[in-house]
Amino acid sequence: MYKYLLQSVDGIQWFAISTLLIFFGTFCVASIRAFISRKEDMQRMANLPLED
Amino acid sequence: MSNTQQFQYDNRITRAFGMASFIWGVVGMLVGIIIAFQLTYPSLNFGPWLTFGRLRPLHTNAVIFAFVGNGLFMGIYYSLQRLLKARMWNDTLSWVHFWGWQFVILCAAYTLPMGMTTSGEYSELIWPIDLLITLIWVVFGVNMFGTLLTRRESHIYVAIWFYIATWVTVAVLHIVRSLELPFSFTESYPLFSGVQEALVQWWYGHNAVAFFLTTPYLGMMYYFLPKAANRPVYSYKLSIVHFWALIFIYIWAGPHHLLYSSLPDWVQSLGTVFSIMLIAPSWGGMLNGLLTLRGAWDRVRQDPVLKFMVVAVTAYGMATFEGPMLSIKSVNAISHFTDWTIAHVHVGALGWNGFLTFGVLYWLWPRMYRTQLYSVKLANAHFWIGTLGIVVYAVPLYWAGWTQALMWKEFTPEGLLVWGNFLDTVTQIIPMYAMRAAGGTMFFIGTILGVYNLLKTAQQGSFLANEDAEAPARERRQPAATTGEYWHRWIEGRPMQMLLWSTVLIAIGGIVQIIPMVFIESQVPKISTVKPYTPLELTGRDIYISEGCVGCHSQQIRPFRSETERYGEYSKSGEYIYDRPFLWGSKRTGPDLMREGGKYPDSWHYNHMMDPTTMSPGSIMPAYPHLLDEPLDLSGLPGKITALRTLGTPYARDFEKYAVTNAEEQAQKIAANLASQGIKDQGIEKKKIVAIIAYLQRLGTDIKVQPASEK
Repeated sequence: MYKYLLQSVDGIQWFAISTLLIFFGTFCVASIRAFISRKEDMQRMANLPLED
Repeated sequence: MSNTQQFQYDNRITRAFGMASFIWGVVGMLVGIIIAFQLTYPSLNFGPWLTFGRLRPLHTNAVIFAFVGNGLFMGIYYSLQRLLKARMWNDTLSWVHFWGWQFVILCAAYTLPMGMTTSGEYSELIWPIDLLITLIWVVFGVNMFGTLLTRRESHIYVAIWFYIATWVTVAVLHIVRSLELPFSFTESYPLFSGVQEALVQWWYGHNAVAFFLTTPYLGMMYYFLPKAANRPVYSYKLSIVHFWALIFIYIWAGPHHLLYSSLPDWVQSLGTVFSIMLIAPSWGGMLNGLLTLRGAWDRVRQDPVLKFMVVAVTAYGMATFEGPMLSIKSVNAISHFTDWTIAHVHVGALGWNGFLTFGVLYWLWPRMYRTQLYSVKLANAHFWIGTLGIVVYAVPLYWAGWTQALMWKEFTPEGLLVWGNFLDTVTQIIPMYAMRAAGGTMFFIGTILGVYNLLKTAQQGSFLANEDAEAPARERRQPAATTGEYWHRWIEGRPMQMLLWSTVLIAIGGIVQIIPMVFIESQVPKISTVKPYTPLELTGRDIYISEGCVGCHSQQIRPFRSETERYGEYSKSGEYIYDRPFLWGSKRTGPDLMREGGKYPDSWHYNHMMDPTTMSPGSIMPAYPHLLDEPLDLSGLPGKITALRTLGTPYARDFEKYAVTNAEEQAQKIAANLASQGIKDQGIEKKKIVAIIAYLQRLGTDIKVQPASEK
């Protein structure tokens, strides 16, 4: 029954696919950018709580 | 340096929120203990105000919004100032926030026992309080962003990203969940109905856990754990990935609360998939926290602050492993509606939120009072009694959950339910309930020791209300953005962009799930025989809501043989279209009531409400004798009918003019029924009991009616 319900919504497949793509894109961008950033900058950021 | 500026951090506001946190913590936990004992000793239900149904939402609201809420504001107000090298933007706003929030809590503490509730879990508060919360949240936001914009430190540390995400998401969640049409000063009907409201509720409910109990506490973990361990976070890079992945995935996971319900399958699957994915960022964050202690584990043995924090982060890891597991449909088929869920949330609430709050309090108090902790020994005692309390609380409930689920599903070789009487599956687990109450009491005793320790610490020290600090003024231009030192500096230096991107990310989750459900009619197939409630049934339904019956009785039969055999035909989404609010429930301490209508005669309900044990010996349900005495108030009916028609319920034109007469006629019929069954109370037709009987007898009967076309 659900299968027919699913088919009755126009373009419903794009909801799931766009979800996956948006998540995957965000995750990749965040990860890649984080891991190519300079170590010293990361170190400096990590030390912020210890500076006050 | 010539441009060094002197300023002061505001410790008074941190202290105020900290004190409010432990005071409300004591209250919230005490209510928790009372309701835990009510399950073992039903005579502790003192109606009408102090029954389980009314106290349970008081407990959850007190712990979430009062204990943890004040705890997170304490953490934010302390760390934000120091990380940004700035005093809070406006002291008046800080205090408006503080007193406004306490006023909200007091309003909740009054309205919930009085039976004023909208019934959605963690969103029970009535519309005027919803408005007040919105106002206070805006005040908090203006103060936080004001501080961000006037900061001296150009970089925004990861803890603050979590605070920003918390603020924006809670604002969006609260507003969407509170879309309702008021028809009196204390009552309203939600904009959405039935299955759509269920989706909005659990999108809200799950993300209340995510963005009220988790993200601000993760921010606190990223600040206070490095402070307490005196070493930077293990991996800052990991914290960036943790943040973006967590806020984006979390927002999708709500439908895992509605598995096997009549919610469309694609939404359920989406919820399951994202819940399973959630384990990655959650464990990334947990490991980042624990690995921050690398090389400092020897100190964990001596320092109670670190002890509390380690157990907190470990509890976070356990709860966030268990959550995805419970979202797998086959596991959820067993766990849902049982005490397993209650054990799961308490590992999070007691372990993660409770212990992190205590850890931060034990770290903060000596610093703000410029002294040593009054007694490390007492803090260690608190730690051990609290840890054992969590174990003694959770383990029996896991056991109870499994036991009851297996009993619900057990069949004889002939194909009949072994435990056909639901009550047998309840009485079986009452010893586990007693152990849970003991575990909760242990945790509470630990909390009292903690409060005493903090008060003595305050007594022996002298409070530093305004802490001197200095820092150079912030350089407005950031060369990093142009020289391309690293990408993240662009966004992390710009709180408003951060706010925008966080909003976009969390909005996508809500929009993709909710919009098709709300606007695409075919998502909820109509059933021609399902009709709106009669005025008397509607009144009974509102009494059912007011008494908090939904806390123990679901109205949602899953498509399992074990459920259809016990309760009847499984629930269809089309059956709920006139349900405002929806009353699916999430826990079965009593049986499901979806198909209660017509199961028993009216007199059975009358006697059962007066004293449940007369009809069901051994029942732990509270007695509701007041429903037999309190007058039936029908004066609000015209307003209710008009409000519901405005929202789309097809009541005939001018029906509100006849609603009261209609209700009185139905009440007379029920009174006559009762009289024919031997209950001849004078004036019974003018008491609340007839309305609740009318509602219960209607439940689930519509689909049994033959459609007109087939007659």
